[in-house]
Amino acid sequence: MEKVILHRKKNKIHYGSRIFDIFLIILMAAVSIIFLYPFLNVISVSLSSNRMISTGQVTFFPREIILDGYKMLFQEQNIWGAYLNTVIIAAGSTVINLVCTSGIAYTLTYPNFVLKKFLTIALLITMFFGGGTVPTYILIQKLHMMDTWWALMLPNAVQAYNIFVYRSFYKGISSEIREAAKIDGASDYKILTGIYVPLSKALYATFGLFSIVNTWNSYYDALLYIKTDKLLPIQMILRKIVFVNSGLSAMSNSQQMIGNGEMNKLNVQYACVIATILPVLILYPFLQKYFAQGMQVGAVKG
Amino acid sequence: MKKQKKWNEAVAPASINSFWKQLYRQRQLVLLALPAVILVFIFKYIPIYGILISFKDFNAAKGVWGSEWLNPLWKNFTTFFKNVNSQKIIWNTFKVGMMTLLFTFPTPIIFALLLNELKGKWYKKTVQTVSYIPHFISIVVICSMLNGFGSMTGMFNDVREFLGMARVNMNSGSAYFLWEYVGSAVWQGVGWGSIIYLAALSNVDTSLYDVANIDGANRWQKIIHIAWPTIKPTATIILIMNVGTVLNMDFTKILLMQNDTNRSALDVISTFVYQKGIVEGKFSYSTAVNLFLSAVCFALVFSTNMIVRKMDPENSLW
Repeated sequence: MEKVILHRKKNKIHYGSRIFDIFLIILMAAVSIIFLYPFLNVISVSLSSNRMISTGQVTFFPREIILDGYKMLFQEQNIWGAYLNTVIIAAGSTVINLVCTSGIAYTLTYPNFVLKKFLTIALLITMFFGGGTVPTYILIQKLHMMDTWWALMLPNAVQAYNIFVYRSFYKGISSEIREAAKIDGASDYKILTGIYVPLSKALYATFGLFSIVNTWNSYYDALLYIKTDKLLPIQMILRKIVFVNSGLSAMSNSQQMIGNGEMNKLNVQYACVIATILPVLILYPFLQKYFAQGMQVGAVKG
Repeated sequence: MKKQKKWNEAVAPASINSFWKQLYRQRQLVLLALPAVILVFIFKYIPIYGILISFKDFNAAKGVWGSEWLNPLWKNFTTFFKNVNSQKIIWNTFKVGMMTLLFTFPTPIIFALLLNELKGKWYKKTVQTVSYIPHFISIVVICSMLNGFGSMTGMFNDVREFLGMARVNMNSGSAYFLWEYVGSAVWQGVGWGSIIYLAALSNVDTSLYDVANIDGANRWQKIIHIAWPTIKPTATIILIMNVGTVLNMDFTKILLMQNDTNRSALDVISTFVYQKGIVEGKFSYSTAVNLFLSAVCFALVFSTNMIVRKMDPENSLW
């Protein structure tokens, strides 16, 4: 008798568990759609005709496909130029970031480095205190970096947090190797570039990619410091078209087409959204590969 | 006393000497640290010094030090607190920060717990990969999407119509701001935020599950008694750290979501600083307002860190 009850109970559990599994599979499919749908919708709308957009009929797929949004965007905005600007800014700030961070992080792995304590405290302070927008703005003015890319590349190149993560990563490398190299007469610069950097490929891949994506995605510094249209990064072009009233109206041909009803303003705006995120989505598989490692690296406490 | 002094005289010069000697011996290290030190000094410390202008009548020609002190020194602060809008701005800052915390903190935990229960490795991995994508999308793109989705013909209004509600322009006025702001923050952060919990869950002792199975525990019981206790310490720390930074919301996002119809209603302290300082050029005043915000933020971080240290010294920041 007891055995039978036990058997039944077990069955019941399995039954409930099954339902839960199926529910979960459906729920997660729904959640995935919520993550992806906005992108699908943006692509679809950017490609659909004004008639379909303005009657709210575009959802998952484009309807009555037109390419005018993209055509006009590339005709009337210097998208390729903005791409080039952004690539230069991202590459520059990433290189500065990796070089400076590696240098100081390496020195902090020496327990008997005389400046170790001083530098650690000085860096910690910057994690909690900052001058804020306006004093930095005044500084950039004083340094005559207004309207130059230096203003976007230098101020945030060195972050205390990154330094501490690098340091803890370097600490994972056996110091015996370093001692051996020292005995062979290698300089610290040689040890860093010849031993530490090659052994920290995962670290550099992760932080390099993150730095590139962060720079690609940021607009605020450019909003503050870049006044010349030709120097603007891609995010600022998007901002101009979507959020600044004069941005879209400066595109006279597009404006005319929108006025005639030949296309919707969302065609141009969303075309620009796609142009802005496409490079990041192309990088995404690489990011995907490395950020799991990156999170582990970041979790190590210095 | 005399002896002490003599001892100091004897030791001090020698130790200073040895400091410089050692510094010279470690000159390679100094050289390696130098680029970062220069950048940190110029771009982190000089602006901190620049905060002085919140007590001065800043004049660009005279520089930070040469400008006249204000009389009284805290004039800018009293001006801010006397401003009719200041209370609303402070309240807005709290409101946006708290709402964001309320929704962006629990959602990654729930998502991680559910993902952990999901059967099928491939499916789980796919859902995870998809959930991270929004994290890498820029704030300008997010806001552009919100702008389009909230327009009369946008996606949000399609949903409203489907639910039998009238179409409205969600971008004008401030009625829908908070939902758009918080909703998009959840959408953007839930997958990425769950990584840390999933990492904790992957380290759980599997024998616990075997024991639970023998005891006949159901799924819910396993979640409550095994999975949740595993991630609870992590969750506590993340909650406390989030509370510490609750006022440091992403004001660049609010800056984009503001337009002529809602600017004053959406202002938080940081956007107010941008408006007054950069747009209107009131450098001293806006620096003072920002200093007030920094002080409150620092107090929050500091006190939350004290709490962590009491609860769990391992995880405190310092």
